[in-house]
Amino acid sequence: MFFHIILERNLQLHPRYFGPHLRDKLVSKLIHDVEGTCSGRHGFVVAVTAVENIGKGLIRDGTGYVTFPVKYQCVVFRPFKGEILESVVTMVNKMGFFAEAGPVQIFVSNHLIPDDMAFQAGDVPCYETSDGSVRIQKDSEVRLKIVGTRVDATEIFCIGTIKDDFLGLTGDPGGAA
Amino acid sequence: MSTEPFRRLVKLVARAFYDEEIPAKGPNRSKSDKSDNRGIAIVILDALTRRQWVKEEDLARDLKLHPKQLRRTLRVLEEEQLVVREDHRETVKAAKAYNAAIAATSDGKPGEQEKEEKQKVHTHSYCCLDYAQVYDVVRYRIHRAKKKIKDELEDRNTVQEYVCPNPSCGSRYSALDALQLVNPFDQNFHCERCDSELVAESDKLAAVELADGDGDDNARRRQREKLRELLEKMEIQLKPLMEQLARVKDLTPPDYGTFTQWEKKAIASGRIVSSNGEVPELKVAHGQGPTGTPMPFLGETKVEVALAGAEDSKEHIKEEVAATAKVLPPWMIRQGMNVPTSYSDGRHEVKTEEGLGLANSTALDVKPVEDKEAIEQKLKEEYYKAYYAALLQRQQEAAQVHTVATVVTDEQVTTHGQEIATSDRQVGMKSKRDEREEEEEEVEWEDASVSGGLHAVNEDATEGGLLEEQTAVEPGVGDEGDDEEIDWEDG
Ligand SMILES: [Zn+2]
Repeated sequence: MFFHIILERNLQLHPRYFGPHLRDKLVSKLIHDVEGTCSGRHGFVVAVTAVENIGKGLIRDGTGYVTFPVKYQCVVFRPFKGEILESVVTMVNKMGFFAEAGPVQIFVSNHLIPDDMAFQAGDVPCYETSDGSVRIQKDSEVRLKIVGTRVDATEIFCIGTIKDDFLGLTGDPGGAA
Repeated sequence: MSTEPFRRLVKLVARAFYDEEIPAKGPNRSKSDKSDNRGIAIVILDALTRRQWVKEEDLARDLKLHPKQLRRTLRVLEEEQLVVREDHRETVKAAKAYNAAIAATSDGKPGEQEKEEKQKVHTHSYCCLDYAQVYDVVRYRIHRAKKKIKDELEDRNTVQEYVCPNPSCGSRYSALDALQLVNPFDQNFHCERCDSELVAESDKLAAVELADGDGDDNARRRQREKLRELLEKMEIQLKPLMEQLARVKDLTPPDYGTFTQWEKKAIASGRIVSSNGEVPELKVAHGQGPTGTPMPFLGETKVEVALAGAEDSKEHIKEEVAATAKVLPPWMIRQGMNVPTSYSDGRHEVKTEEGLGLANSTALDVKPVEDKEAIEQKLKEEYYKAYYAALLQRQQEAAQVHTVATVVTDEQVTTHGQEIATSDRQVGMKSKRDEREEEEEEVEWEDASVSGGLHAVNEDATEGGLLEEQTAVEPGVGDEGDDEEIDWEDG
């Protein structure tokens, strides 16, 4: 689920940037530092949308670096148990398959894959129905439901299922490309 | 309240869960005694449904079982929370008390009493069914069984576990660790410690043949079929039990308390019952019955009062109880009898139960009290009837004599509400009521309705149209009534 929230962060800036473009430099550094990171608490930071407030800088003893407290708005993505996500398959093995929904990695174990789909080893390992009408392989698009999350301080990992109504293959690799 | 539904429940439980050999439980059971005890639990549980608290020795004698064998089974049943047991160190006196209690609850067996009197201080065990607990335990048991199968069937235990097949390692991982377990070369899951390939864990009911590697999917399918079958079978086999559970759901289970409580109560009630039999006046009153129903066995009773007093007086008191039960609201009776029929049917059931000789335990416990209550209740009833009759008369008089504005308007409003609730022939009803009212009032009423109509959208104030308006806007009825009242007072 996506949220638009306000976060705060202390940014350290090298003295060489002190000048007319200090604020721009701060913002670009913020974006560079923050976007794409993950915290267990807030989820993945997808994008910084605005800088609310930049506080007074504090010169650090000895180094000359200055620490600015920055308040910024950003969009975060936090997966929850029970959430439905569209994802792209990244790897298939006999235990199941891995998929990505944006920054989140999801593992779908084979007992959460419908029973009519069987694992086919080979050059391109895949899960396939016996009539071959549905085939999940690398780069397939899959809609799945999150059934468990593992939240660490700096990463979130999910396990999902496609064994439910309206879940499963939504697009073939060709469509994805 | 009838205990029969609960007895039936226990019998069903016995047959559902204890018809096999009772598995050896606990370390205190030696392996050497492999006596065939199949079905004994059923016999014991059935016997217990016919008793309240019972000394285990007596039970053993009645069932022609070895006391040890009985005790063994009872211990299992106690562990399963179906039966409560109590040990008592007793003197002869205490044994007597117990015998008295038994005599009071089961029509007396004077022969046994003397036999028991010779006993010295002894530890005796007593046991009794705990009906309330049985109900809970069985429900929980079924719930757990169903949940286990269903979870497995629907893969509700979603986090797949993986184990290391290496016997010296045996590490366990869950699907949440998947990312770390993937081996970049063969893309399979490998143990983090010994790097052997992991195997999906399955501690499942029907997963016996899953172990043999390649046939994984077929095995899974077969497993699911098996589970589904299992669930179906269970539902079918437990159906009568489930039904009985549902039936029992809103009933209060019979509660005999602890052994000491029960003993006291039983003795007390027993005494009163016997003394009751010796009072002829009461007897006659019972014989005629408050409802005046003929009782064919009345003549015999008179003769045998002294000897078989307990038995017969019980019969009468039952009748009495049944008769007083008539006062109770019908839903209560139905609940107790557990038969969705009329009251008279319920009473029949009481009789037949008596006839079958199934212990009429709860009734017995409260009998003497209820007997007094019956008389008291009758008196109260009479009083209430008279009181309400007088009250009603008064009200009617008041309604006729008084033409106080508020009273009449109130009445009008209420009758109005009734009209709407009950019939769609509003106009007719109204005219009827108007006839009842005095003429001047009628005029006033009509005025009022016109003003009420002004509030409504439609302005043509013919009476019929107006009433239709009123009925159409049902929730507004009360408001309009108020309007009318105000207008009427103005007039
Ligand atoms: Zn290992």
